[in-house]
Amino acid sequence: MTVDLSVNLGGLELKNPVTVASGTFGYGQEYDRYFDIAQLGAVTVKSISLKPRAGNKSPRLVETPAGLLNAIGLQNVGLDAYLEQKLPFLRKKGVPIIANIYGHTPDEYVELASRLEDARGADAIEVNLSCPNVHDARTARGVSLVAQDPEAVAEYTRAIRLAASLPLFVKLSPNVVSITEPALAAQEAGADAVCLINTLLGMAVDPETRRPRLANIVGGLSGPAIRPIAVKMVWDAARVLRIPIIGMGGICEASDAIQFFLAGATAVAVGSMSFRHPVAAIQILEGIADYLKRHQISGIKHLVGAMEL
Amino acid sequence: MPLLTEGEVLANEAVAPGHFRMRLRAPDLAREAAPGQFAMLQVAHGLYPFLRRPMSFERIFPMDVTFLYKVRGEGTQMLSRFHPGQKIPVQGPLGNGFPITPGFKRHIIVAGGIGVAPFPGLAAVLIRRFGKAPEIVLAARTASLILSEDDFRQMGCDIHIATDDGTAGTEGLASDVLEQLAPDAATRVYACGPMVMLRAVAEIAATGKADCQVSLEAQMACGEGACLGCVVESVREQEGERMIRVCIDGPVFDGTLIDWEAHDPAYDR
Repeated sequence: MTVDLSVNLGGLELKNPVTVASGTFGYGQEYDRYFDIAQLGAVTVKSISLKPRAGNKSPRLVETPAGLLNAIGLQNVGLDAYLEQKLPFLRKKGVPIIANIYGHTPDEYVELASRLEDARGADAIEVNLSCPNVHDARTARGVSLVAQDPEAVAEYTRAIRLAASLPLFVKLSPNVVSITEPALAAQEAGADAVCLINTLLGMAVDPETRRPRLANIVGGLSGPAIRPIAVKMVWDAARVLRIPIIGMGGICEASDAIQFFLAGATAVAVGSMSFRHPVAAIQILEGIADYLKRHQISGIKHLVGAMEL
Repeated sequence: MPLLTEGEVLANEAVAPGHFRMRLRAPDLAREAAPGQFAMLQVAHGLYPFLRRPMSFERIFPMDVTFLYKVRGEGTQMLSRFHPGQKIPVQGPLGNGFPITPGFKRHIIVAGGIGVAPFPGLAAVLIRRFGKAPEIVLAARTASLILSEDDFRQMGCDIHIATDDGTAGTEGLASDVLEQLAPDAATRVYACGPMVMLRAVAEIAATGKADCQVSLEAQMACGEGACLGCVVESVREQEGERMIRVCIDGPVFDGTLIDWEAHDPAYDR
């Protein structure tokens, strides 16, 4: 039996529902040495800012139980270099591109989104309002993550929505009391989808040196350790949203991805698992197809939100 | 092209307190590998430790590679418990190895502690290529942690030993010995060890106008240049180019590229 893996993410048609989490897959080329990245539903690239960023000091990584803490600080080549050096490879591959963008102000996001659209540098925009590792973002109400402030989420999303017609995804933070408020704020402001979840704030201390393990002191926790939290947040959001959810957080194998679909995600992103196993995303895609066949489900769409209570 | 493959453990034995050597049968990997490159070993079947462990090749044989490693945490602890016959998922070879280029009258290897790991293989290649054994500076805290001395001796290398406590060779640092050897413009120095040692080595090399290649170590998630977790600061001034990745831009770098001032020794262990 053939199964229909295609999904529509707020106007972005994908041949299958598997992408990668921003920051875990570089700009695609890094992993094309291991598999043909055009097999993915989409490639989500590392955050792009207007100007190049050096990011945080090292050490930036520490391993923790069933996961890792990172504090990269959005090191990236900047928009110009992305368009000149990274984009041509992705376009040649023909894989849909979700461009994750990061700015300090709504104006910067607007400039990023509109320049990406003009340059055909993306097929969808993923707005990163939830990076825990940068210290230069503060909303008017003094909250350090835009995604923690539903009014700011609405303000940023609305501004970008007005400037760009590409499908607009808003990546939200799990570091909130309730995920439904920022998710609804994004939807009402015109987002076409939300991405859940970014990393959880965490830290680790070296008992011998008494120093934090990360130069940035705190970092973002990812990996299978966070998966139950991510599944629950997808479920919370799915019950109140009309727009699709791209689910992510500790997906290591196909059965993990299935959990996200059942909880209400329309697509999934493989993140840290690509670090451990470079071909993980494609194996997960194959596993999803096998699952559908095994359960005689004709299309992935039928699985979305199909958890039984 | 790096591979995802599986190696069979042929041997995995203690060579010094807390230090092991693993010999892995992995013909595809061995065929591609070069000294200074590394592989990522997946030590856990389950999800903890989650990440693979980067290990530089010690020796490269037609069918096998060896890794010389120090037990530092749970990952290397688990690695040390592998038995002959067991399989281990391995990814590699990764990164850039040591440059092997003519034009140098002297080749001096400087190894601090477990930093000796990539050098038996390098010495073998230098001998094969230039017909002359490199000089070796081996340094460690104490005599029992001087590794691979016999291997280098068998290859005919001149060996200079230094220990912090004077239990073998001269009492002092690798850099003290290198200074005595006076590397000059016709010398290439290859160094691996703690950052403080590498910095001193790079400075001595620069003083003598010697070429200096340092192999760095870092916490690493992907080994592929994607995660940006393993960066060190370079002397490049442009914001987007300052941070260089140990995994894919290195792990071997020209010593003059590293911004030694920017490194915070408080995180060294």
